[in-house]
Amino acid sequence: MTFKIAALVLGSLGVLGILLAATGVPVGQALAEVIRASLGSERAISGTLRETTPLLFAGLAVFLALRAGLFNIGVEGQFLVGALACAVVALAVGGPLGIVLGLLAGALGGILWALPTAWIRAYRNGHEVITSIMLNNAAMLFATALVAGPLKAPDQQSPSTAMISAATRLPNLIDQPKLQVNLGLLLGLVVALLLARWLARTVAGYELCAAGANPKAALAAGVEVKPTLLKAMLFSGALAGSGGAVMVLAFEGRFYQGFSSGYGFDGLGVALLAGSNPLGLIPSALLFGILNKGGTAVQFLGVPKGITYVLLGLLIVVVAAIRYRKGGANATAD
Amino acid sequence: MPLPIEVLAAATAARAAPLALAALGGYTSERAGVINIGLEGKMLTAACLTAVIGARTGNAMLGLAAGIAAAICLSLFHWLATQTFRVDHVISGMAINAIAFGGVNTIAAKFLDPGATPPRLPDPPFLILAFGLPILVAYGVSRTRAGLRLQAVGSDPEKARLVGLNPVWVRFGGLVLTGVFTGLSGALIFNGVGNLTDTMTAGRGYIALAALILGGWRPIPALLACLLFGFLEALQLVLQGTSIGGVQIPTEAWNALPYLATVVALAGFVGKTRAPAGLGKP
Repeated sequence: MTFKIAALVLGSLGVLGILLAATGVPVGQALAEVIRASLGSERAISGTLRETTPLLFAGLAVFLALRAGLFNIGVEGQFLVGALACAVVALAVGGPLGIVLGLLAGALGGILWALPTAWIRAYRNGHEVITSIMLNNAAMLFATALVAGPLKAPDQQSPSTAMISAATRLPNLIDQPKLQVNLGLLLGLVVALLLARWLARTVAGYELCAAGANPKAALAAGVEVKPTLLKAMLFSGALAGSGGAVMVLAFEGRFYQGFSSGYGFDGLGVALLAGSNPLGLIPSALLFGILNKGGTAVQFLGVPKGITYVLLGLLIVVVAAIRYRKGGANATAD
Repeated sequence: MPLPIEVLAAATAARAAPLALAALGGYTSERAGVINIGLEGKMLTAACLTAVIGARTGNAMLGLAAGIAAAICLSLFHWLATQTFRVDHVISGMAINAIAFGGVNTIAAKFLDPGATPPRLPDPPFLILAFGLPILVAYGVSRTRAGLRLQAVGSDPEKARLVGLNPVWVRFGGLVLTGVFTGLSGALIFNGVGNLTDTMTAGRGYIALAALILGGWRPIPALLACLLFGFLEALQLVLQGTSIGGVQIPTEAWNALPYLATVVALAGFVGKTRAPAGLGKP
């Protein structure tokens, strides 16, 4: 099996190398550029940490659902609806109260968008991947329609809401001309710690993992599996929506068309790479933050952005294959 | 406003055909027990290579062949990941969609001149295939030796092993067919649009999967479900720009209709009773 895994890794690297070679940019140069643009200066590090924040929230959302045996591919849509809801509330209510209500609105938006998926999965046996992807597309259209129509600010050229006042923003913890670290990142880290504790130390957390590991055994042991799945999916939606809200309050200051550059999908990679401990999400989100920031930079060298998705896909398969080998039969939860 | 019935019927057939081919691709995979979330990625890759190779060679048939070959390759990657490496079927499917999206994005940016107009094949042969193949496959699976083996492996891989079948290789055959059908579907989608973008499949792979589920994992009922979804997509073309009670309905609302219908359809579908019993099992 080790031989097979080695072959898989080599094959994946080969595919990636061929694709990179086809774009005509030397692999070493591309790699150096990724590192330089993501970690090479204080400004680059600030950008990487900014990218890491939504990725951490998206990763948390996917991770939690995955613990319950659910694939929440709908994080992208929940993130968008959460961000939109937060922007609307934060525009209406200013100041610190606006921040709190905005975060709450984001979580509620995410829950609302996860609700059909959660209910259909738990009580109607409809596959969560299909419904959540459909709702992603619907969220994109819904947000576009609103932001190009009733919510469009008159002074903005492109479809976008108005800017949120400076008093309604999450402050920077480190605020130097070149290096900025926002409170939003700290919020994400705290949520990761709390989630780790909740999963490991509470009955509800244990039941969630039990339902995910073996639904039949959990049912026999007295866990109400269907409500547990419902709650897990809604909780996941709340995390995704909060991520959208943090993105608005900490960095963007508004909601606009094309708000998410696919954070929800990247969250899938973040969660799969993190392993079985939520704290693993932190380095994993950082890695994806580096890839996102560096990936944008290599575009200027002529490497299309798409190549990061190829890398993501190959990485997912390799990690999943290695995990199966380590985990034995238990790793194939159905 | 009287609906132009002929327009609606023609649009329904045109919209349902790629769905029907994709759903059939999903069928030959899932009937053998391999969950296939990656239909979307195979369709997208096929559409891309059909365009690129078609434009490079000026030969639409070569483009089609390249598209189908690419879809088969991805399908066999899924086979390798799920059968040899025992990767979770849903994870592998999602990974394939990511690879396809990124690959198409890269190839479209690097290998297709923005001004190029790839040759396109006429639609009628595709329509005949889309509506004829499900009948052929339904017959093949229930009446031929290979088809019965496919069913046996998908229903109970353990018992299939006991009677001397090798599920892994039966699934190989099923997944090659998945590649062929999703390849045709992707080529047809490219034909309909005429220019290449990385969002051209627009979630149709997932809608096709929903149609397969609604059809209870049977080719002909799945075809009927595809016609329903095709009708909804066609309806949006006919109704776009109309207003209800004086209120202008945004275009996005019509565009969202097929997606929301898919969700509603899955909500209305109860139980897993018709799913192949061995779905996702090693």
